[in-house]
Amino acid sequence: MRRQSPFRESTIGRSIFRSTERETTRDRAAGHWASFLLHVYPVKVRRRELGFRYSWYLGVISAVLLISLVVSGVYLMFFYVPSPASAYGDIQSLHTDVAFGQFIRNTHRWAAHLMVIAVAAHAARVFYRGAYKPPREFNWVVGVVLLLLTLLLSFTGYLLPWDQLAYWAVTVGTSMADFVPIFGDVIRETLLGGTQVGSETLLRFYVLHVAVLPLLAFGVLMIHLWRWRKDSMLDIANDEEFVDE
Amino acid sequence: MSEHEPAVHEGRRVLGVVPGTPPVGERKVPEDQDLVMVWPHLLVRHAVVAIATLLAVLVVSLLFDAPLRDLANPFETPNPEKAPWYFAALQELLSHFHPLVAGVLVPTAVIVGMAALPYLDRSLYTSPRFRKVAVWTFTLFLTIWFVLTIIGFAFRGPNWSWVWPWQEWHGEL
Repeated sequence: MRRQSPFRESTIGRSIFRSTERETTRDRAAGHWASFLLHVYPVKVRRRELGFRYSWYLGVISAVLLISLVVSGVYLMFFYVPSPASAYGDIQSLHTDVAFGQFIRNTHRWAAHLMVIAVAAHAARVFYRGAYKPPREFNWVVGVVLLLLTLLLSFTGYLLPWDQLAYWAVTVGTSMADFVPIFGDVIRETLLGGTQVGSETLLRFYVLHVAVLPLLAFGVLMIHLWRWRKDSMLDIANDEEFVDE
Repeated sequence: MSEHEPAVHEGRRVLGVVPGTPPVGERKVPEDQDLVMVWPHLLVRHAVVAIATLLAVLVVSLLFDAPLRDLANPFETPNPEKAPWYFAALQELLSHFHPLVAGVLVPTAVIVGMAALPYLDRSLYTSPRFRKVAVWTFTLFLTIWFVLTIIGFAFRGPNWSWVWPWQEWHGEL
């Protein structure tokens, strides 16, 4: 019989890993259940969910991009001050003075664009599979919220380099709020912190981009994954005729 | 092996061995609906996908630098003035319809319509063959949105006039 590592069988090891035997399927399920990192996942899935055709792995891709964005974003935060006086210069010195600065900024930029595409494609794939059908209706709605949060995260980040591209893209984007009846001006001025894009806007977008929206996105993502795990053991419809192919 | 540790075969404790073929027949072929352990079957695949995704980001980031134009200048409006690419479809719509329609009604309808989808489409069929109306409606919406995005992103130049992307390039990422 294969022995477990001595550490796992020690008092400390047992306190961390709980289930030390990983020999039978039952042991392994218990070990899976006791693991903090693995508890995001169900213990078992149906074989058809493993393949590329099922999901095109777009949900995983979106999640991996999100994590990479948090890592690269934290690195960028060390070298960036959100004020019109310093923001642009900070990006310039990021390119010239900071170790891997340009590279990390590149990864942050491209991963952000890719994430918008991945999340939208994930929604489309879920639609074509009919995976929003009972009992998964609510998780689809949670997914729509995540799509919106992704767009908002990308849009608020767009302003931060404080170059002509950022400034005018955000000016155009927020000008759409003007057309909302009655509350148009209020919404726009709340977003911008003034009548046009300025230092208040930069600060607001920065706080939204690095604190409010990421926390919201992670919170909603946890609900999304929790719901996915709960629903994963249920059939979309138990009736044989509703199962495709 | 000590006598207190049971033999383990294919993840099951062996209580005894009976000669001959199993009473329920040969071992069955794995089927789509069978349950498999997430570790290792799903997690290994997810790890490969994660590595491939990060590799793609790495390669793109080595090949292309993120854009950085001149310092923001509120007094110098670029022409054309473009929103980020994922709003290009809305900006393109704005050039054709009243702002109340293109800027407020359409985005609201898209968001509400998407969120309400599972409550509007109550059929339990998942195969596209039995969902022709839903699939065609969604595909039509997706195609229109995609075309509008491409037009707004790559085919619009100064004063939002039509340009050919191979002659004048105005798309910015």
